[in-house]
Amino acid sequence: MYPIILLSVLGIVVLFLGFMKSKNILLPATLLFLALALGSNFIDWNQGPLLYFYGMFSVTNLTLAFNAIVLISAFLIVAMTRGFQDDEEAQPAEYYGIMLFSLVGAIMIIGYEHLIIFFVGIEILSVAMYILTGSDKRNLRSNEASLKYFLMGAFATGIMLFGIALLYGATGAFSLTGIRGFVSTAAGAQSYILYAGLLLLLIGMLFKVSAAPFHFWTPDVYDGAPSIFTTFMSTIVKTAGFAAIFRLLSHSFAGIYDFWYITLAVITVLTLFVGNVVAVYQDSFKRMMAYSSISHAGYLLIALTALTAQTERSILFYSMAYSVATISAFGVLMLIAKEKSLDGRPNESYDAFNGLAKQNPLLAFVLTVSMLSLAGIPLTAGFWGKFFVFSSAADRGLIWMLVVAVLMSAVGIYYYFRVVIASYMKEGNTGKIRVAPFYQIVLVAATVITILFGLAPGFFEQLL
Amino acid sequence: MSASLLILIPLLPLIGFLINGIGFRRVPKGAVGVIGSLAALGSFAVSVAVLSAFKAAGSEPQVVSLFDWITVGNLNIPFSFQIDQLSLLMLMIVTGVGSLIHIYSIGYMKHDEGFGKFFAFLNLFLFFMLLLVMGSNYVIMFIGWEGVGLCSYLLIGFWNTNTNYNNAARKAFIMNRIGDLGFLLGIFTIIATFGSVEYTEVFSQATGLSIGDPVVVTITLLLFVGAMGKSAQIPLFTWLPDAMAGPTPVSALIHAATMVTAGIYMVIRSNVLYSLAPFTLEVISIVGIATVLLAASIGLLQNDIKKVLAYSTVSQLGYMFVALGVMAYSASMFHVITHAFFKALLFLGAGSVIHAMSDEQDIRSMGGLRKKLPITFLTFLIGTIAIAGIPPFAGFFSKDEILAHAYEHNKLLWALGVLGSLMTSFYMFRLLFLTFFGQFRGTHEQEHHLHESPAAMTIPLVILAIFSAVGGFMGVPEALGGTHQLAEFMSPLYEGARQVNPEAFAATTLSHSEEFMLMGISVAAALIAAIAAYVMYVSRNSVPAPDTAERSSLERLVYNKYYVDELYNGVFVKPIAGLSNLLYSFGEFFIDLIVLGTGRLVKGVSGQLRQTQTGSVGYYIFAMVVGIVAILFWNLLIR
Amino acid sequence: MNPTLSIFYFLSFLTVLSALMVVFSRSPIHSVLYLILTFFCLTGHYILLNAQFLAAVNIIVYAGAIMVLFLFVIMFLNMKKEDEEAKTNLTKIAAMIVAGTLFVILFGAYRKSIIGAYNPYEYNSQVGMVESLGAVLFRDYLLPFELASVLFLIAMTGAVMLGRREVGERHF
Repeated sequence: MYPIILLSVLGIVVLFLGFMKSKNILLPATLLFLALALGSNFIDWNQGPLLYFYGMFSVTNLTLAFNAIVLISAFLIVAMTRGFQDDEEAQPAEYYGIMLFSLVGAIMIIGYEHLIIFFVGIEILSVAMYILTGSDKRNLRSNEASLKYFLMGAFATGIMLFGIALLYGATGAFSLTGIRGFVSTAAGAQSYILYAGLLLLLIGMLFKVSAAPFHFWTPDVYDGAPSIFTTFMSTIVKTAGFAAIFRLLSHSFAGIYDFWYITLAVITVLTLFVGNVVAVYQDSFKRMMAYSSISHAGYLLIALTALTAQTERSILFYSMAYSVATISAFGVLMLIAKEKSLDGRPNESYDAFNGLAKQNPLLAFVLTVSMLSLAGIPLTAGFWGKFFVFSSAADRGLIWMLVVAVLMSAVGIYYYFRVVIASYMKEGNTGKIRVAPFYQIVLVAATVITILFGLAPGFFEQLL
Repeated sequence: MSASLLILIPLLPLIGFLINGIGFRRVPKGAVGVIGSLAALGSFAVSVAVLSAFKAAGSEPQVVSLFDWITVGNLNIPFSFQIDQLSLLMLMIVTGVGSLIHIYSIGYMKHDEGFGKFFAFLNLFLFFMLLLVMGSNYVIMFIGWEGVGLCSYLLIGFWNTNTNYNNAARKAFIMNRIGDLGFLLGIFTIIATFGSVEYTEVFSQATGLSIGDPVVVTITLLLFVGAMGKSAQIPLFTWLPDAMAGPTPVSALIHAATMVTAGIYMVIRSNVLYSLAPFTLEVISIVGIATVLLAASIGLLQNDIKKVLAYSTVSQLGYMFVALGVMAYSASMFHVITHAFFKALLFLGAGSVIHAMSDEQDIRSMGGLRKKLPITFLTFLIGTIAIAGIPPFAGFFSKDEILAHAYEHNKLLWALGVLGSLMTSFYMFRLLFLTFFGQFRGTHEQEHHLHESPAAMTIPLVILAIFSAVGGFMGVPEALGGTHQLAEFMSPLYEGARQVNPEAFAATTLSHSEEFMLMGISVAAALIAAIAAYVMYVSRNSVPAPDTAERSSLERLVYNKYYVDELYNGVFVKPIAGLSNLLYSFGEFFIDLIVLGTGRLVKGVSGQLRQTQTGSVGYYIFAMVVGIVAILFWNLLIR
Repeated sequence: MNPTLSIFYFLSFLTVLSALMVVFSRSPIHSVLYLILTFFCLTGHYILLNAQFLAAVNIIVYAGAIMVLFLFVIMFLNMKKEDEEAKTNLTKIAAMIVAGTLFVILFGAYRKSIIGAYNPYEYNSQVGMVESLGAVLFRDYLLPFELASVLFLIAMTGAVMLGRREVGERHF
């Protein structure tokens, strides 16, 4: 609860700081504000389940943990912006302000107890993303991506709103508890208006986390957006989005599991298939990461489809592992894309990584660890993420889904290893890349987290 | 047995890895090899201490829990080691043979610029292999399993400037991954069925199931897929011969003595489950015997010294699976042990030859080396006799035990096994004769350079040769008036399996005279093959034709042979050569086609699916709406 | 049929008709005008439901401000002529079929479900009035109400940021 208020106010402060002559204060100020928000997040720690504002917003240790992941990811990403010094066209105050505001939206959809909060939250998050996607104004691809994202996002919002309206019509309630109350009645479990509402709302949410067949925007948008904001989108929006879907399904609709799980299972398999298989064909590392984010949405959907007692923790761990690995991968990509830029545009193809390890062993190592984690190789956090998700599916007896998922993770190895092979085994002329100390700290921190939780995943459980 | 002592076993190689890995290029070259070898020797010493403590404490298996690792709901996975007869045996092999190979590598890799990196990887491999055999649950085993796969990938591609080597490494990695997927699915099925991954817990629950329970059959089949990948069985065997691209000590350690036997270890470890699944056992013995015959026949005509040994490894692994298939778990383990000795010896011997020949691997360019490399020759001879199954060397006892069990189970299986043993003996003696007998056929420069290897390389050879010679006496069959110490030692492992499937562990029904007959037949087969090889390659001095058949050699072939030779050639050699080539092409191309064809299929589908990403918003939204309509239609109207 | 019901049916008919005309008219300006008509009809529905405040807001904000903005933009971009080549007959037919199917599905779902009845005599007629709306909005719904301002702030910041004139860009 506190971070919402704090971030709303501090976002305005950042906008005002933009009026100052010196732009150098913006980055430390934003980092400080994020740290404050993170600290305030833990005021409610171990206070038990709390409800704020007349049952609008709920706080539990697990939602706080999701908040923490989102805030820490944002901290790492903001630290990698380096104050947008390299770009004269950039407007850092606005970027930072919008990023802080968007976190308000993310936290709202993590702990909503009422569909209005959810709706406002997801709109805050989405509108912020539309803007950040188009922030590279001189770049046509960025403009195009922004417009596409906006059009399709507006469409999905419409669907979602329709769903919420139908849910209200069927249940007479906007709150998750109210809906659960209706679902648990005999009439509620059979209401087709409720079914239609649930499906439409779910479709809108699945669009936001880019599940197939609602994923079409993802590659174009991730590819077109400036890399730093792609990182933001693929980590924070995904983490918050899955927390939100989990909340809806577990709090309100666990009673009609038999109704929705087949639909979700089919979408899961489709998402896994599309994400992994198409990623194989990409020549651009950034575009591959876009498809990889689709495939990871698929793995997270497995946990949702299984919906056991462990699901929330599995999603939490998986999001953490995925976010950290994605941040370090994009961190390395941004450095290299800039170093190898062609005609002033960043070069994001696999070839840009050739021979990276010769002169930059640290970058190559960071990249390797993050790829191993994304691919789910043991002793990285990503392995345990997959392990927890898969074992919850095994618990539910969804073996056929497990088979697909395991096969698809084998396909994943192929495209994740391509870049590792390029950086270690191919010949290239990458010179020594200078990495700013702060940037280096972020990369090392992300790598350490990946390895630490890979060695002792139990440690993460003890933190909760 | 204290936990601190146990943890030292895997910890020492890990420390070695960290020192050599982080200090790569900074640690002086002399210290690198010493540190790496000391790490291996240290963990060998600790293993010996643990073994003696284990025996002193009355051979009671025990689980030493180090810390609570993961708790997910009701699934609790501790990080703990299980010390029992099986893990101790594997420990002795891994650390013992591993130490010798480390010492050998000091001499072999001396001139390589990646010396430090090599030892770091070797130590890392030991660490993962030790995790694999010591872990007390399937998850730790899986981590070790993946880890050794990764190390093998790194070491095959060690000389990564060569593209072929990289391809071999990738092939190994991909094939292993296919196996690993089966293993992983098996683990998840175990979790879903038993709610635990701890061996003790799973096996005690499994004893309550009935024989042929479909769940157990599924689990065992999935686990066996993992074993097929790691232990190079049909159809996932083609990576192993390609893996010979790595440095020779790696081939000896990883691709002969230790890693490839992980699949056998896993099956023996899960013997309760396998005893419950007769169908899986049938599959295992069929796959095993097919691998024996296919790999041995391919080995008949290979001309690369390491390739011959590689196919021989595949074929010997097949024997071990045959033994598993007939529930002769101890016999299989026995063969694992003896095979570790003689195959490590043969690979190291081959390495010594390659070293002396300045990296020449083609046996057609060798010959007459016995005078120049006496120690290598003698040890290689012992290894050859051992693998051929000629008494009283190690291979005879273990292979004979497997064949006896196979005979009891199914006569056809036995007959095919003897056929395989015949071929084994032939190609091994062919290798021996072509390499060490006759005239030197290499270039003048090579001849000038020939020398016996340094002591760091020959001492391990001698030690391994001694074990290859006498190692078999740990399991002398009763018929020969000995006691089978190994089987007695391992007997407590099968308590659970004996409980669920008692008749499988009944005493042998073979009479002593029958056993003598079986031994006689297999020894005779081995001797006949050896003599045939001698006649062909020493008396008649024939050399396999070079790939680009030169005129002169063809002429020599025609002139120097009698009519009998041609007849022999036409009736015996040619069909076998044809068959061998056919099988070779089957192995290399057809199977690669299936495995890699799957990869191509994925790429093809990917290319098609990629077309859906047109970039037009109208199309995207249309696709979304179609999706929505389909979802609603199915959910609201159909069901 | 009582007068409220007949007004309801008339308004509904008009709403659907004008909504269809928004889609079918060829000129964008006509579309906007029909949209304004649709909003007026919806306002009528609000009044029927005894929600005067919402009715007023709907007229002022949607029919007034937003629609004028729409018209302004359309005229500004000079989109008088109908843009036919963008849509082929095939896309039209496909869109028709999909939309029709969607309608049939939702209608089918509606037919299958039981709609709860309500008792008109227990209905609180003051529920849609400004006073009770304000009470709910500033107590129960305070959090989303305030946070909606963050949404607008983002949109504003973004609009300013994206619309700001770059160095070297031409003036309008």
